[in-house]
Amino acid sequence: MSFIVDKQTLEDLNLLGKFKQYSIFSLFNKVNTTGGEKLLIEMFKTPLTDPAAINKRSAIFKYFQSRQFSFPFSNEQFSVMDNYLSAAGGKYHLVTLIALGKKKLLGAVIRDEEYQKKLSNLQQTITLLNACKTFINQFSNDEDHPFSNEVLAVKNILNDPKLDWLASAQNTLPSLTQMAAYDHLLRHKMQATLTTVVEIFYQLDVYIAIANLAQAKGFEYAQALPKKDNLFTATALKHPGIEKAVGNPVSFHHNSNMIFLTGANMAGKSTFMKAFGINVYLAHMGFPVAAKEMQFSVKDGIYTSINVPDNLNMGYSHFYAEVLRVKNVAEEVSSGKSLVIIFDELFKGTNVKDAYDATLAVSSAFSQYPKCFYIISTHIIEAGEVLQQQSNIQMLYLPTIMNGNIPAYTYQLQQGISSDRHGMMIIENEGILEMLEN
Amino acid sequence: MLFTTDKQTQEDLNIYGKQGTDSILSLFNRTSTLNGARVLEEMFTYPLSDAESINKRSGMIGYLKVVQAGFPFSSELFDRAEQYLADTDERTKLSTERPSLEKQLTGLVAADAHYKQIVNGVSALIEIIKQLDSLLKSTLLVAGSPFKSDPETISIVTLLAAEPVNLLLQESPKHKFAREKLATYDMQLRFRHRETIQRILRYIYQLDVYITVAKVAAERSFVFPKALPKEEHVIKIDAFYHPQLKNAVPNTLDIDPNNNLVFLTGANMAGKSTFMKSLGIAMYLAHMGFPVAAKKMEFSVLDGIYTTINLPDNLGIGASHFYAEVLRIKKVARELNTGKNIFVIFDELFRGTNVKDAYEATIAITSAFAKKRNSMFVISTHIIEAGDVLKERCANISFKYLPTRMKGTVPEYTYTLETGITDDRHGMIIINNEGILELLKKGRETIQ
Repeated sequence: MSFIVDKQTLEDLNLLGKFKQYSIFSLFNKVNTTGGEKLLIEMFKTPLTDPAAINKRSAIFKYFQSRQFSFPFSNEQFSVMDNYLSAAGGKYHLVTLIALGKKKLLGAVIRDEEYQKKLSNLQQTITLLNACKTFINQFSNDEDHPFSNEVLAVKNILNDPKLDWLASAQNTLPSLTQMAAYDHLLRHKMQATLTTVVEIFYQLDVYIAIANLAQAKGFEYAQALPKKDNLFTATALKHPGIEKAVGNPVSFHHNSNMIFLTGANMAGKSTFMKAFGINVYLAHMGFPVAAKEMQFSVKDGIYTSINVPDNLNMGYSHFYAEVLRVKNVAEEVSSGKSLVIIFDELFKGTNVKDAYDATLAVSSAFSQYPKCFYIISTHIIEAGEVLQQQSNIQMLYLPTIMNGNIPAYTYQLQQGISSDRHGMMIIENEGILEMLEN
Repeated sequence: MLFTTDKQTQEDLNIYGKQGTDSILSLFNRTSTLNGARVLEEMFTYPLSDAESINKRSGMIGYLKVVQAGFPFSSELFDRAEQYLADTDERTKLSTERPSLEKQLTGLVAADAHYKQIVNGVSALIEIIKQLDSLLKSTLLVAGSPFKSDPETISIVTLLAAEPVNLLLQESPKHKFAREKLATYDMQLRFRHRETIQRILRYIYQLDVYITVAKVAAERSFVFPKALPKEEHVIKIDAFYHPQLKNAVPNTLDIDPNNNLVFLTGANMAGKSTFMKSLGIAMYLAHMGFPVAAKKMEFSVLDGIYTTINLPDNLGIGASHFYAEVLRIKKVARELNTGKNIFVIFDELFRGTNVKDAYEATIAITSAFAKKRNSMFVISTHIIEAGDVLKERCANISFKYLPTRMKGTVPEYTYTLETGITDDRHGMIIINNEGILELLKKGRETIQ
């Protein structure tokens, strides 16, 4: 079963999107090749749910981080080779020879450029294959590492005696017959095997890029545990996209499955919740996370409700849109799935009394599902005072320190409930009420 | 002083609309001439701010509605005339000299385009002037017509009686002109008295707008509001409704200095926004001297109108919806601070922030607004608790709500304004209707 995540969650956490500013994908998209980028997109779209697979992938990243390779090829080189190899050659050697001969003749007579182009593509492919061989041979054969099977496969292919000519062909201009022979070998006989090589190099591109990013940013790897452990711990969890982010410890388990989060508007509630969601997501991809000592039981999916858009065109108010979102999540939760759920400031578009009733009722009902972990933020501290009596709910807040009129924030979680609010202060700072007094 | 409004307001009220969609402008935008449409748009851009000119304009349009005036000109005439007048190049002036034999011969083979355009233009102008003259005599200048005292009409009449326009009146448009005569007309109409001609055309375009608006008013049975002096600070509007809605439910509202703030509550679907838009549109059109969708309307002229109904939220930047609202309020506060009397609409004030902040801020801002007795406010909110506090604090707030009747668990809406604060608490009803809590309860039982 694949990890469940929906569009709303992806947008709340700003996970995908190559061209989206500050998306988590663009943070990690440091690969060199288009093929590598495709692979990365694939990984982002399909997080894993099997702890063994997750731990295996993170072990590969760890290995590459310890070796600190750099990927020595450019995208142009690879796309020439990829295009050349993927356009299938003729089935028969003779046909290839005749077709090439015809092109060469055309090139000589009417200055057709196709022969020259073919020749240059072939030469570039030969050069790159030689470089690949050099690169892959720096892995020693006896070393045991999580990527050794792939490395060995590439080695076997590139060191095949059938390809011995590669080294000598690099610096000489091949004759027509030689060219036909090479072309036939590379694009017909060995096409499938060479495609494997290209694909493994795309993987290498991703592993090296992510490992190096993890090294540069000081990201660490999370340990995936079986679902039944029902556990999450991390020290110094932070938002991967924010430099100098403040780390906070987070822990959930069976008997403590909900965080009730309070704090003023700018105190960092949303950022903390997003940071948690993003790291959970990255961890399920086997990717490095912006947290220390993170351990997590795999979950079935993640749902967030941070910026629910109102669909006024369909006649949905903000409130109704939120209600539908909560209902959607309730359906998933009640079907027995293990989920991570984040609700930011629910029920904004209603009156105070209803917001209180609804927050209280919904939080308490959700908290009865110990297989799901929740973070719920709100300004309705009265709801917190009631929920406090439930032992499975952690009361946390993000504090505000006032320096005269100017609020300062520590972004460091504290135990308890905070009644800080700054709505009126913003209005006062803008001087609106004085303006109206005159 | 100009009547002030802004883009946000015009978008909220859908004054211009997006290209190709129905808007308030498109309701009236059926003028015969292209330039008429331009004049109409100008009137929408610059509503009026003194009672006299508003009443004058609405009086003239109202008169045209009563006499069921039609626009007698064919729009093609104006295309010809405008095209002709647009050519201000002195070298194209028709000379009085007889053309050379060579030119005459070429003229026989291929008609001289210049010459033809001049003939076309002059004959179009003759026809326009003649028709204007008969329109004036038959409709505009008869007894009881407000046009008789309109200074612009009077000066147009004077222009028609003076040279060179009076000469045109004697011509027959089908008449074939002698070259010499044509050259004189060309020189006079296109160059020497150009301004006069353009002024007359502009007058006709304005008539086009008035006649069109009168027709729309007749078709849709709109009424002409009566503008009252600024100092009275009242609005009385009977049975107004949204002009773009079919089967809209009419409502009645009175605002005066002792009741200058309407605090509107009601469920989300109860029609608060539509009510506010209808009111805003009526006030906007009334300040243009245009007819409105209502049974009767009297209003004191204000200095401007500001609405905040669909404030674009920029959720990408986080908590900014609240801040966007604060800035919008600041803008209105600044206008009020300069001593202007304005009409203000706020829909779902502070909907973007948490209920606690919204509660405090709504009370603070609303009671501060209420002190501006000469301006008028309509504020809607979902924070009904704020209403209870405001009731004690300010005597000049009138509390209105749009009710919801529950038929079993299904809400029904009357769209008819009532006095008081709604006690409908729909939040929990909606949650219960969606069965969220039951869903969670049932799920737990099946899992266990």
